[in-house]
Amino acid sequence: MKVHIALFGALRDADARGFIELEAPESCTIATLRELLRAHLREHAPHISPHLVQRSAFASEDEILHGHRTLPDNGQLAILPPVSGG
Amino acid sequence: MTDLHTAVVDIRDTALDPAAALDFVSDPRFGGIDMFIGKVREHNLGRIVTGVSYDLFEPLALRTFEAIAARARNEIGGPMKLYIAHAKGDLGIGDVAVIVAAGTPHRDEAFRACRLAIETVKHEAPIWKQEHYVDGDSAWSEGCSLCDEHRQAEQATASHGEVHGHSH
Repeated sequence: MKVHIALFGALRDADARGFIELEAPESCTIATLRELLRAHLREHAPHISPHLVQRSAFASEDEILHGHRTLPDNGQLAILPPVSGG
Repeated sequence: MTDLHTAVVDIRDTALDPAAALDFVSDPRFGGIDMFIGKVREHNLGRIVTGVSYDLFEPLALRTFEAIAARARNEIGGPMKLYIAHAKGDLGIGDVAVIVAAGTPHRDEAFRACRLAIETVKHEAPIWKQEHYVDGDSAWSEGCSLCDEHRQAEQATASHGEVHGHSH
């Protein structure tokens, strides 16, 4: 399935469009998607620190999705670097 | 009439308004109101700041504000009005970045609810601050990881007690 990952904060530098699209297996977990994203960034955005990706969380519009969760049916996700509001 | 107001305010449309927050949490039942106002300051970590930009994942930020309110309500256990608003976009020095206000019957609950809400907004809401410096450079602020796996790894390597060691 096609997964659309919206970018925020420092991770916006990974793609000027503000999102990344990846092809992922059906019923893939978030942990697996993280590995796919790291491989994608190594190739297409090597200036992005792997440590930053490691410290980032995946989320839908409703909640944070931890590693054991599977991809949402609509394939719409966001990746959230460490937060710094206020 | 609801007891909760949450908002993400695009600074291009309007500024955050402490008077509106005060008005919202005022109530004949309440004798205590506490308000926290976060403003953009002119320096950080020894560098001169000329402005900041806030990026937000808006739908999840609003849901997080609602969850924070539920947590505060649970903690306080009585009547309360809560106002949480955060700015989005490019702010100058002195502009209001965030307002949290709590109205409760007595001061203790108001202080506690306000403190809980602002700390949780800073540590858990999907909001990112980019600082702009006088030399033309810009940098995204170091922040709090929302990734459970990473937090657990950090806790495992933390030597003693103070896991959340940074000072923002």
